[in-house]
Amino acid sequence: MLLSSLFLLPAAVLAQTYTEHLHLSPLAQTSHLLAAFNFTSTTPLPAYESGHFTHFPRSLAQILQHTKTRELHLRFAWGRWDDEQWGPRPRMGRREGGTGVEIWAWLDQDHGGDVEERWSGLVNGLSGLFCASLNFIDSTRTTHPVLSFDPEGTHADGVTGQELLHGTLPHEVVCTENLTPFLKLLPCKGKAGISSLLDGHKVFDANWQTMSIDVRPICPAGGNGGGECVLEIQQTVDVVLDVERSMRARGDPIPRPRPIEELECDGGKGYGGGDTCYPKVKEGEMGWSLSRIFGTPVRGSCHLGDGHADADITLEVPLDRMVNVTNAQPLDAGNEQGIRSYRLPNHPPGQYTDLALPQQSVTQAVVQPQPPLYATRTITGSGQQHGGMHAHLRNPHPYAQTITYFESLPWFLRPYIHTLRVRNSETHENVKLEKMFYTPAKDRERGTHLELMFTVSAGGEVELSYDFEKAVLRYTEYPPDANRGFDVAPAVIRVLPNDNNTGDGGRQGSYIRTTSLLLPLPTPDFSMPYNVIILTSTVIALGFGSIFNLLTRRFVLAEEVPASKLALRVKAIVGVAQDVVGRLKGTKAVEMGGDAVGSGKGDGMGNGAG
Amino acid sequence: MACNPRNTFPGAVFNSRERSVDLYDGVFGAGDGLGLEDVQRNGGIEVDYRGNEVTVETFIRLLTDRFPSSYPRSKRLVTDERSNILIYMTGHGGNEFLKFQDSEEIGAVDLADAFEQMHEKRRYNSILFLVDTCQAGTLLPSLRSPNIIAAGSSKKDQSSYSHHADQDIGIAVIDRWTYYNLEFLEREVTSTSSNKTIGQLFDSYDPLLVHSDTEVRYDLFEGGAQKARERRVLDFFGNVQAVEMGGDTEEEQQWREDLVGLKRLIERNMQAREDAALHPLLSEATITAAEAPLGLLKKFQVVSAKATSGWSKGVGGAMALVSLGVGWSMASYFEY
Repeated sequence: MLLSSLFLLPAAVLAQTYTEHLHLSPLAQTSHLLAAFNFTSTTPLPAYESGHFTHFPRSLAQILQHTKTRELHLRFAWGRWDDEQWGPRPRMGRREGGTGVEIWAWLDQDHGGDVEERWSGLVNGLSGLFCASLNFIDSTRTTHPVLSFDPEGTHADGVTGQELLHGTLPHEVVCTENLTPFLKLLPCKGKAGISSLLDGHKVFDANWQTMSIDVRPICPAGGNGGGECVLEIQQTVDVVLDVERSMRARGDPIPRPRPIEELECDGGKGYGGGDTCYPKVKEGEMGWSLSRIFGTPVRGSCHLGDGHADADITLEVPLDRMVNVTNAQPLDAGNEQGIRSYRLPNHPPGQYTDLALPQQSVTQAVVQPQPPLYATRTITGSGQQHGGMHAHLRNPHPYAQTITYFESLPWFLRPYIHTLRVRNSETHENVKLEKMFYTPAKDRERGTHLELMFTVSAGGEVELSYDFEKAVLRYTEYPPDANRGFDVAPAVIRVLPNDNNTGDGGRQGSYIRTTSLLLPLPTPDFSMPYNVIILTSTVIALGFGSIFNLLTRRFVLAEEVPASKLALRVKAIVGVAQDVVGRLKGTKAVEMGGDAVGSGKGDGMGNGAG
Repeated sequence: MACNPRNTFPGAVFNSRERSVDLYDGVFGAGDGLGLEDVQRNGGIEVDYRGNEVTVETFIRLLTDRFPSSYPRSKRLVTDERSNILIYMTGHGGNEFLKFQDSEEIGAVDLADAFEQMHEKRRYNSILFLVDTCQAGTLLPSLRSPNIIAAGSSKKDQSSYSHHADQDIGIAVIDRWTYYNLEFLEREVTSTSSNKTIGQLFDSYDPLLVHSDTEVRYDLFEGGAQKARERRVLDFFGNVQAVEMGGDTEEEQQWREDLVGLKRLIERNMQAREDAALHPLLSEATITAAEAPLGLLKKFQVVSAKATSGWSKGVGGAMALVSLGVGWSMASYFEY
């Protein structure tokens, strides 16, 4: 594939260059489009070390220099690559990341200095630069892989004196605030050239997307005589867009039923009347254009003094597919492989370039190559204490493949390595592990690091499984949405190069990452503290009063109760008040009926009082 | 949140049903993407804290700058005693608390302590503190640091409501108090040199439209309500300065003279500092004398803020006790 050739080191290394490249490849028989953006910039290493930056972004360089990082690979990824439908991953999976954020870097050991501290400084600096919570990558999420990663650059003494650290954050969300600083690292800052297509609304509506930053030193072959070393930064954005969904207008992305006038009806059906419509199956490839998929045509160009006339946009479509090009110069290179190349215009600046492919029936069936390996991984088991991990690997090719399988597990997933079984699926005989590296976990300090190397036979299927135990976390260690579960980082499978596989060569081999997993841990009921307080308080309030009365109350007859002093005093006061009221009533009666009743009343009163 | 798979409009956050402005956009006025002549890219959005990083601990560390040294500068609040800070909080809240992420709360006292630490570390010149939650006004009485203008969207036992919902997204897109704040800013504050004041902003709320009574606290600001209401809104909201470059040689000459004068001033300051280093006792004494009356003033303010509320509460408690005692004695009388 064309993309794999981007990894070959050029024979003559130019000192200060910038190239950008967009590769468009409709994925066969599906309405998906792979858009692979690549921005590569080099700077001579002496200039970098003395602080002269032209195309190399200064903000990133300062972080790397401060933490003495020799080689950096940073990935932001989201979505799932559909192996069966879409074939092998772009760039052999070497610019792909696991879900969330994945970072690995070679740091100078600096005569036994504190690499962990500088790693913490590196992830903190990058978290500030990329608006991501990379600062959560601490010792519990960092491992030191041995087999899975080889440095891509040429280092002076190989990698002696350097340490490889790998950190992963599977729960991290990737969004426009991560794309913005990514674009700001580019020389044209996303305003001109193919980077003007990158818009958060389209990139993050993709089925699968990866943004990656790779910084590596390249020294030309031939020792001192070949020229000076350069530092290369490659920024890559690979997206798989659903063509039909991306072409919906930004203001109305909800699929609504089309008015019946717009439907193309298949009139050949026997049933149905005038108001029913059996939609005609659209044949052939859907029509699309860059401006409709990305929301904007390419604006201008970003040719920065590189001098050569490389293609800016390449399009991989069958030879009989029509392409309408606006404002781009077609080049002849690669036409025989079905790859069309175009170069953006230099002058006048500010022009818009567009590529439009009308809807067309294609006669040639495109054969999708097979990926090097099919890999899936799941968690098995039920219950809150135990579980199992199960990975299934299938080799579709007629030659055996040696692979390394790397897993970085969180500390609360405790694997029982003695239950590790690597077996051929059909014959159930054990596959011999050629190498194995295992670092057990320490609670709250570091996670598990598991690396295996074994061979999958030609056309064979291998099952990898082990049991694990789940830990109970402390009350404060749960995230706010605790019942969702915890993310487990994807497994990184590296298919090592050998003589048999054609085209998948290169020193590195190719990479495949499985999906990340959701691990449900035993979660406490966080509403319980409130419930307990309310319930206990109610019980105490109701129960205490009743029990106290039962224990201390005495029942006595009413007559036996001695009159209390207060009651007597109240009675006396009431008696005095009644006397006063009676006397008032009496005097009133005397006044009122004094003439009529006279002595009779007076005698009565006098007798009563006496 | 914007890139959540459940978001109908991927990568977009709106504040109104019309969806005219995408808050998550790097582009203004792009429309449906074509017709790009008047597009101004403003550089895209950057969010410093999101997801599981938004916790009470992180917020208080951000205010008080208690971070390890490896923490990146872009995630710190880099302010000094000349900075005006706008703090706007919204969400769910209640009597003297505000909810974070549905799993923890920040209390009014914690907030007041954080502001006091900021004051002691001289991290702000003045703060405009706006809160849009239910019973937001209950967060305000605990504040005790000077030069804070605080406003809450509702009083005690009052709720704050959302304004309207977008049926396509499926949730309410803006709250009422926020909506009317935004309306004032969009309608009245029309340029970066606008002179609209905080008082005009607070007066523009109509309780019948907002459906809650805004509670404002001016007494912490030096100069009281009058001075607080005279502050410009753009002192807190606008940090885009309208810079005008002149091409005149006359102005250049003036700048050069200014620079020379500044240089002389700096040299004089350095000389004074060296003299002070030789006589340390003298400089310390002058500093403490200047700060003493300020400390006394602060103490008075603290006392006055809490005293009135305590007195009325004591009277209420005593009345309750007396009435309960009367009730008890009456009950025991009737038993006999």
